[in-house]
Amino acid sequence: MKTLVIIPAFNEEETLRGVILGIRSFLSQADILVVNDGSTDSTGDIAREEGVLVLEHPYNMGIGATMQTGFLYALNNGYNIAVQIDGDGQHDARFITSLIKPILDGQANLVIGTRYLSDGGFKSTFLRKLGIRFFTTIIWIFTGKKITDPTSGFRAMDRKGIELFSKEYPSDYPEVEALISAYKKGLHFQEIPVTMRNRQGGASSIGILSALYYMVKVTLSISIGSFRRVK
Amino acid sequence: MSIRLNLFAIIGSIILLLVILELIRRKYLQERYSLIWIVTGILFLLLSIRVDILYRISNFLGFSIPSNALFFFGVLFLILIVLGLSVITSRLSVKNKILAQEVVLLKKRVADLEKSLRSSE
Repeated sequence: MKTLVIIPAFNEEETLRGVILGIRSFLSQADILVVNDGSTDSTGDIAREEGVLVLEHPYNMGIGATMQTGFLYALNNGYNIAVQIDGDGQHDARFITSLIKPILDGQANLVIGTRYLSDGGFKSTFLRKLGIRFFTTIIWIFTGKKITDPTSGFRAMDRKGIELFSKEYPSDYPEVEALISAYKKGLHFQEIPVTMRNRQGGASSIGILSALYYMVKVTLSISIGSFRRVK
Repeated sequence: MSIRLNLFAIIGSIILLLVILELIRRKYLQERYSLIWIVTGILFLLLSIRVDILYRISNFLGFSIPSNALFFFGVLFLILIVLGLSVITSRLSVKNKILAQEVVLLKKRVADLEKSLRSSE
């Protein structure tokens, strides 16, 4: 099975090397791809020094477009499995093997690493939890499925997921919407417990205003999208 | 309406039309998007030459004074134009994203091909 680990990276020079080394030590047979989303620091240089695959966006295009570039690369180069892991070090590479196991066993097309099905680890702040609960409810309303950590960007998918997401992936705050479109396409998804760390460097990309925007945008997009025919 | 105001409106409309035509000539405005502006310019000119048309429309629709009708249609028109521009911007940003991603992937392929060429030499 050809596996590609995609790291979307925007100004992650402090943490990127650690993330790459972590992936190498737990999943040595996988290819690692850093999609550098127009970083202004040495993120791209670090990735090249480490000898991983690097794609450079000509300008900052946002997390959605960054992940999609990675999925397109996976699609064009015949990868069977794609793993998505953050470059800021909050996802522990140790869990990648358990993340792709349900795919190898043919039990799921899309696996989400959730921090809410395990004890310990970093569970994030009260407000963030409230937001996540909100999205869990939204997803439950539209799909009838209970996803405890729908904003988690620690995921693995099979070829079907790669094909879908390389074709359509929201440009900003994509995680929740991507789950809905996967559901519409009939993909099976599954959550597995992981522990997450608090970010090791950089700043969180989500403030209170953008959190509000996140919620409104996703709700709008999903409810209007439910009137859209599935292609 | 006074003759002076009428003359002023006619001259204004002609200038608007000329500006639009010049923009098209210099290709600052694509023909695709210019049609609505040409129609607007001609409409302005028509209304300033034949003010009685505006009076009749405003009477028919029940506006108390013709200038209210003019403002109403003016604002409505601007809203439609801005909405249209938002649609165009959205479409362009999607196309721009796809284009950038293609370039990124092609650059990678070219680099890989160059590397394999050099190593086979």
